[in-house]
Amino acid sequence: MNWVLKRTGQSVFTVWAVATISFGLIRLMPGGAEDIIVARIHESQGSDVPAEVIREQVQHRINIDPNAPIHEAYLQYMGGLVRGDFGHSVYLNRDVATILAEALPWTIFLMAISTLLTFGLALSLGAMMAYKEGTRFDISQTGVAILTTSIPYYVAAVLFIAYLGNRTSIFPARGRYPAVVEPGFTIQFIVGSFHHAILPAASFVLTVYGLTALAMRGNSIQILGEDYVRVARLRGLSDRRIALRYVGRNAVLPMYTSLLISIGFMFGGSIILEELFQYPGIGYYMYQAIEYQDMPLMMGTFLVITVAVVIALFVGDATYSKLDPRIKSGDDSESY
Amino acid sequence: MTVSPTEGDREPQTDGGEMFATAELTQISRRQRYGEWFQEAVREPFSIAWEDWRMKVGLTIILGFIAMAALAWVSSSTFWVLENVTILEEPISNQGPQSLQPFESSDHLLGTDNQGRDILAGVVHATPMMLQMILAGAVFATVMATAVGTVAGYKGGTTERILMTISDVAMTIPGLPLVIVLVVLINPQNPWFIGIIITINVWAGIARTIHSQVLTLREHSYVEASRTMGISTPRVIQKDILPNLMPYITVNFVYSARRVIYDSVALYFLGILSFQTVENWGVMMNLAYQTAGALYNPATTYMLIIPMIPIIVLSFGLILFAQGTDRLFNPRVRTRQSGRTEPTEDADDDTPRVPQ
Amino acid sequence: MSTYERSQHDRALYETADPVIELRDAEVVFEMDRGVSRVLDNVTLDIQRNEVLGIVGESGSGKSMLASAMLDAVVDPGVLSGQVTYHPADGHPVDVLELSERELLKHRWEDISMVFQGAMSSFNPTMEVGEHFEETIEAHDYDIGAGMDRARELLEDLYLDPDRVLPSYPHELSGGMKQRALIALSLVLEPDVLVMDEPTAALDLLMQRSILSLLESLKEKYDLTLIFITHDLPLVAELADRLAVMYAFELVEIGATEEILRRGSHPYTRSLLNATPNLDAPLEEMRPIEGAAPDPVDVPSGCSYHPRCPLADDECVASDPAFQAVSDEHSVACYHWQDAPDAIPFNVEVEVAEDCPQTDKEGECLPDERTADSSEPEPQQAENRAETDGGDQ
Repeated sequence: MNWVLKRTGQSVFTVWAVATISFGLIRLMPGGAEDIIVARIHESQGSDVPAEVIREQVQHRINIDPNAPIHEAYLQYMGGLVRGDFGHSVYLNRDVATILAEALPWTIFLMAISTLLTFGLALSLGAMMAYKEGTRFDISQTGVAILTTSIPYYVAAVLFIAYLGNRTSIFPARGRYPAVVEPGFTIQFIVGSFHHAILPAASFVLTVYGLTALAMRGNSIQILGEDYVRVARLRGLSDRRIALRYVGRNAVLPMYTSLLISIGFMFGGSIILEELFQYPGIGYYMYQAIEYQDMPLMMGTFLVITVAVVIALFVGDATYSKLDPRIKSGDDSESY
Repeated sequence: MTVSPTEGDREPQTDGGEMFATAELTQISRRQRYGEWFQEAVREPFSIAWEDWRMKVGLTIILGFIAMAALAWVSSSTFWVLENVTILEEPISNQGPQSLQPFESSDHLLGTDNQGRDILAGVVHATPMMLQMILAGAVFATVMATAVGTVAGYKGGTTERILMTISDVAMTIPGLPLVIVLVVLINPQNPWFIGIIITINVWAGIARTIHSQVLTLREHSYVEASRTMGISTPRVIQKDILPNLMPYITVNFVYSARRVIYDSVALYFLGILSFQTVENWGVMMNLAYQTAGALYNPATTYMLIIPMIPIIVLSFGLILFAQGTDRLFNPRVRTRQSGRTEPTEDADDDTPRVPQ
Repeated sequence: MSTYERSQHDRALYETADPVIELRDAEVVFEMDRGVSRVLDNVTLDIQRNEVLGIVGESGSGKSMLASAMLDAVVDPGVLSGQVTYHPADGHPVDVLELSERELLKHRWEDISMVFQGAMSSFNPTMEVGEHFEETIEAHDYDIGAGMDRARELLEDLYLDPDRVLPSYPHELSGGMKQRALIALSLVLEPDVLVMDEPTAALDLLMQRSILSLLESLKEKYDLTLIFITHDLPLVAELADRLAVMYAFELVEIGATEEILRRGSHPYTRSLLNATPNLDAPLEEMRPIEGAAPDPVDVPSGCSYHPRCPLADDECVASDPAFQAVSDEHSVACYHWQDAPDAIPFNVEVEVAEDCPQTDKEGECLPDERTADSSEPEPQQAENRAETDGGDQ
């Protein structure tokens, strides 16, 4: 209970810190967001726009009154965020909150598939390699893992788009669902959504699993040499139980931190992937915002991605403390 | 990473008589201390690691890129005699025919892009800046992480709580979006600066790992002993803690380096980082993607693929290097691979350690 | 090989009246890059039902391998050959090496179980102690209720509070508590034989003594045969009915505990007795054994002890000595066992001779005196000790 409170406090603190940083970036940075917006207003409406009009427009867009003293502007901005008001997107001419609400489920969908597949593949493959340590399977899989890990996910995405999407059209290379299907709880829509998610997810899974698999392999080899595994075998436990309850669990625990970090890494990578696959999720809109210098949208997407990662990490941490009894006594030994 | 092993020779020990004659008998010369540290922490591990094929291949690749960077630097330098030395011309528009396929002309071995720039020249001349970014980013991330991790772990108390909370928060912020926001707002040009921005929160995760390692180490008897003997905190950290953290520091140095490659190329590729010339492999990919339609047009796909190759090869080298250090830092792997038994060392472990 | 002949000729020397386990030419071999590593070299031995057999030897002498061989539990690349026969109290003898995988899994822990030297690491750190008992009972299809009742009884026999220990995680228990919980776990399926490999190595002296006395009462209560493997000769001498001495992966001497301590006849046994740390012995009288234990890949020819033996001659280098009877219950594999007492006198002899209650005909003091110095603590004391141990974790 105490732990939940502490961890919740930390999550809230993180979100608050990020919001404050983004306020700082918008308001304080020379050449920061505010200046960019003002410059754009001048650009589009001429240089003789009255100051009052500029002030109104800026406030409408980013919730910051450029003339108010800092602390007032800060409270104004934070208040807006709490109410779910992320400002107004110039480029799309819609409220940022509406855009985000529409895009977020798709990013979460894509990330959930990618994360689950990555960890599933990495952990089971790593454990299998450990069980078959030194065999041809192990050696070849180690080589494959190192090789695939050396490929940046966006390079894989580019290759997939070029060869599996555009040239052969085995998989759709753009969009979230088939253009001819109406969104809704229909089989076509669900199947179509998965079909569209295959290439983006594969770009992640195939290039990210390797390091985790190698780490899992190393840890499992170490655990397989532990006395308690030998004793468990002598006690006649089934191989299945030993693999899951003994080797698997004890090998995964030290990797927990790096698994959590890779969730953040993948969410970050969604910007590039969603742009390449023209997949309108949070990352896609963030890229659009950068292209069109749409500050409110950019900061909004940034905040939402952060909150998503914070929540994912919270859930991850909560399961960790369930899995490792030692965490209660404060003994958290981790490895990289 | 590749420090020459020749400096590691130990200086002769001062003889006992002299040591007892002077009051500061524990003041072994600074140079000697570093010499010993170097011997223990760099030279011996290096020779062990070198036996591993992954280390050999990885290091060779890394050295190859350094050589490539040197070649580009010499070719483009205007410094003194180097001004007239040009081994490989810098990539300039219309230095060759447009969109020349690779291996068709010996003048442009890897072909040219749609503006007639030599692709090989582009690949080679992007290397120095890439290495600068890598070095800046990786050094920043590891130094920062080591400092925060060790101080927090060793000092404990309020210092620890504050530093670890900062790390946890920094770790939670997704890296690439933060970097993108910063890049958009700051628009950095200097490669060293870009490297640091990319690793702006990479250090946090590493710091957390190092922190928990330090917590474990702190309980070890030899550290305990040093503390009881009243040795100052910085000395204990330097003497007892840092050498044991070398595995994490080295491996994470390499992974931060890889992160810098990935993210910098991505930033250029997406056009988020602005550029004047073909100064990065990502720029070449960007041009191929945006202006040559390489995703759709099979005839120009090579413009996209070729700059990917050095990215993949360099990160392959780095990962092999990191994997190769595994033998160094994991004594179990080390003995197993060198095929040695330890007959009587460990009490009653009759199982031979080398049953492979 | 000579060992085979040995087993042909001297059957009576190793046979016992009612054996529970028979080992015949048990050999464990590891294939390695630099050659074949023979870590158990043709050991032939009977274990008498309900006896306590102590197996003694220095580090790396093959003791643990012998223990694993009895359960056919040699770690993976190692290959066990020879014959291991288990005689149930009622029923036909079982050829352990011929058992199928399934039968072997049943045989282990139900008939014969083992406590490893790494007690501290024999429990899964992420699982409650109680779950270890439950999964063991379930894996062997025993009744879970009855099995857990027995587990509780065993824990209580070992002066542990089941309500406290079962729901604990391993890291919440002290070393002594973990060790005793492990003994309880090894007995939960009512085996006939318990093999213990250095069960007390990581414990303090007080805890060692108390565990020893607990083992003695457990043995009485549950009709156990105990095999106690250790490098600590004085410790096991208190408990064991018979002692077997191992050197370089083979047995060199075996006999009743009294016999070995009083008339140890192998030069190695005698040196081992002299080298054994003893609080009473002045430091200068402790004699480390010269030389190093042999490498399992390259064991010396003939008698493997000859490079370190003061009595060694050409015969010892040329051929491996067979077992010879010293007395009814005592046999030794040495050509020169009759000369050993003169060549290697016991080093406590001089000092203890005067107040020695019993001396043998050569004037040697009975070495029990060397070990009987420490009185066993009351079990209650041990319990208190364990509780305080656990308390500060």
